[in-house]
Amino acid sequence: MTEEVHHLPLMTSDIILERRRNSRIVQTGVCLVLVALVAWSVQVTIIDDTDWERMGSFANVLEATNRFIGIDFALFKDLIVPTIETFMIACLGTLLGVIICIPAAWFGAMNITPFKPVTYPIARMMMTLSRSIHEIVWALFFVAVVGLGALPGIFAIAVRSVGFIAKMSAEAIEDIDPGPVEAIRSVGGNNLQVLIYAILPQILPQVLGVIIFEWEINIRRSAILGLVGAGGLGLVFFRQMNTFNYHGVMTVIIAVLGLILLGEAVSHRVRRSII
Amino acid sequence: MNPNGTSTTEAPLVWSRYKFPDTFIRYASWITVFVFLAYCIEYLNIPLDRLFGMFGRMGDTLANRYYPPDIEYIMDGEYMEYVVETIQMAYLGALFGLIMTVPLGWCASYNMTPSRRYVYPVARLITMGCRAVHEMIWAILFVSILGFGMLPGVLALTFFCTGFAGKLFAEEIEAVDMGPVEAMRSTGANLFQAMAFGVFPQIRVAFTGIAIYTWDVAFRAATVVGFFGAGGMGWYLKRNVLQIETERVAAILISILVLVMISEAVSAWARNKAMEMK
Amino acid sequence: MTILKVTDLHASYSTSGPEILKGITFEVEDNDFFAIIGPSGAGKSTLIRCINRLVEPSSGEIIFDDRNVTTLPRGELRMLRRDIGVIFQEFNLINRMSVMDNVLSGRLGYTGNLRTLFRAFPREDIDHGLRLLDRVGLIDHVDKRADELSGGQRQRVGIARALMQNPKMLLLDEPTSALDPKISREVMGLIKQMATELKVPCLCNIHDVQLATEFCNKIIGLQDGYMKFNGPTEDMNKEKLDEIYAMEVL
Repeated sequence: MTEEVHHLPLMTSDIILERRRNSRIVQTGVCLVLVALVAWSVQVTIIDDTDWERMGSFANVLEATNRFIGIDFALFKDLIVPTIETFMIACLGTLLGVIICIPAAWFGAMNITPFKPVTYPIARMMMTLSRSIHEIVWALFFVAVVGLGALPGIFAIAVRSVGFIAKMSAEAIEDIDPGPVEAIRSVGGNNLQVLIYAILPQILPQVLGVIIFEWEINIRRSAILGLVGAGGLGLVFFRQMNTFNYHGVMTVIIAVLGLILLGEAVSHRVRRSII
Repeated sequence: MNPNGTSTTEAPLVWSRYKFPDTFIRYASWITVFVFLAYCIEYLNIPLDRLFGMFGRMGDTLANRYYPPDIEYIMDGEYMEYVVETIQMAYLGALFGLIMTVPLGWCASYNMTPSRRYVYPVARLITMGCRAVHEMIWAILFVSILGFGMLPGVLALTFFCTGFAGKLFAEEIEAVDMGPVEAMRSTGANLFQAMAFGVFPQIRVAFTGIAIYTWDVAFRAATVVGFFGAGGMGWYLKRNVLQIETERVAAILISILVLVMISEAVSAWARNKAMEMK
Repeated sequence: MTILKVTDLHASYSTSGPEILKGITFEVEDNDFFAIIGPSGAGKSTLIRCINRLVEPSSGEIIFDDRNVTTLPRGELRMLRRDIGVIFQEFNLINRMSVMDNVLSGRLGYTGNLRTLFRAFPREDIDHGLRLLDRVGLIDHVDKRADELSGGQRQRVGIARALMQNPKMLLLDEPTSALDPKISREVMGLIKQMATELKVPCLCNIHDVQLATEFCNKIIGLQDGYMKFNGPTEDMNKEKLDEIYAMEVL
């Protein structure tokens, strides 16, 4: 009497279809749960919370939108100084951020951090903190501490940028080829010489690219920091909204867009010439 | 030149690091940048001499006015409701934004757009426009049109996420290997089918990454849109800032920090799961 | 005269890891072209790196030029390294920098921090560098980026860089393993020629036994961290070779 030695089921279409049906049931189940979740959220956040009466009909909404369409040409000459201010805040903020990044990236790179159990976690924490807090919150904090004007804006931008730049730089440092480091040590080089000759040339293109990328984003951020008192176009925006000069608001937005466009163009060209 | 031989040149060997005009241009550019930055400092009236004193003042303010943070204030039920609402706003905004990104990013990609002359530039413009306008400006605009509440918040986040994810998505599509797409086209598939079977499988993983990144950014923004009336815990922030209740502000900031860190941990886990599934 | 004396050297890569070198003893005279041969993993690279303490020995003694390498403090270690030139298997050049800058980097041990920042090397160094580049046949490539050169050319830059230090000894870590056979021979020939001219003893880690017997006057053979042979090249024969490479044959 021979036992069936092979008990493996033959792969038939039935089995495949059944498996697909099972996975589809699971998938549908998950989808239904998600849809229910979304529907509940929409109910709670939008439907319940919105003051439908005050909002009025769709026509009212359209009319409200229409108020914004138009340009206040008289405002343009008053925008020149704030625009320059916004641009400068972005530049100085990025510069300060890069300066702070030097120790942050040094501590945050596993291969060159001076005292791994202490300095590495500190650096990582700094980077996470910087990226987790919105620039408006940073601006609020710095305005409270150093007063109104461009300075808190610069600090806010600087602190906000540290996270990204330091993280990318630390990763670049961790990826370097250790060969040149060995070579400079063998020649009798000290730590500074190893840094300048072996580490920096390897990471420079990447780090510069990251800095310019973040500079471009910072222009966008600087434009709104004025909303909380940190200088630049944001302040003009705030004033225009408060005086219900909707066309003025649109004009400021156009100025901001123009500045961002400029930043993008410069960033694109410079990054291409670095690589 | 004999590689193992002795010198065959008789003239004295000279070398200088400075090659005109390359070196001149490089140094000139750097000097221009530095002069410009110095001018910025001048123009904005930055008091460099008082700068270091400010750090002392900062530490002082932190220690006296922001400490101890009023933790009880944020533990109360009503605040928690606002926190939940902030989370809901964030993922609704991210979700709707990602839904809109799928067609928009597709149209904004140079290789897969239905029409390079008409659809592509328009899609690109929309994406860039949504992205260039800061999420706070979107929030203020929507609050102005629709009144206070969470609807403007969700809309603002949606528009922002559309621009943000749209750019990344379009770039992913442009980086795709066109081989499978050509194969699909040659079987007679139309653009949509080529997209679905040729492109989507290749970008599925990247799209998950973009989705997670978008959620991260949306959540960070959601915590603050309430400051301008668009719902969520930002409203509490504004109230306490205006009333100069600094200890409560400190507590709110801590709550924001904790939430963002939790969100980051969840994102990191989700990203790892996505990596595994690849 | 003995320039390098290694006594009972033991080394491992980490305190809990396996021991790579298990008691190596040999001497290098100041007119030697000394070879270290052995199968992969025998510890040849580790031995070379112990000499200038790129790898810390766990026990044993290394006396170079009457200095006890193993006990030197940091500052004096740097000065010791100035006197030892190293030529690497993977060249280890600074890829984005020019050939000239790479050669000049050989003088970093003698250059102060301020000069380093501005890469302002003294005139004598520049002249010396130019002469060396001429001697290795790369005078026409002075301003090229290091990564624009071929493998053989890059190693020649490495040779020039090592000799810029006016070293008292050269360490060579498989200098030709990354080059094809014809270029390998040329480069080894160039190194031997210049070392003899400048009267610099060499301690060379070689994978190719034929090159070793051709260019070197003394050989030590390592196997699994032990020294299996130590003597002049003439004494090396097939039996002793088989003993060293026994593992590989298996």
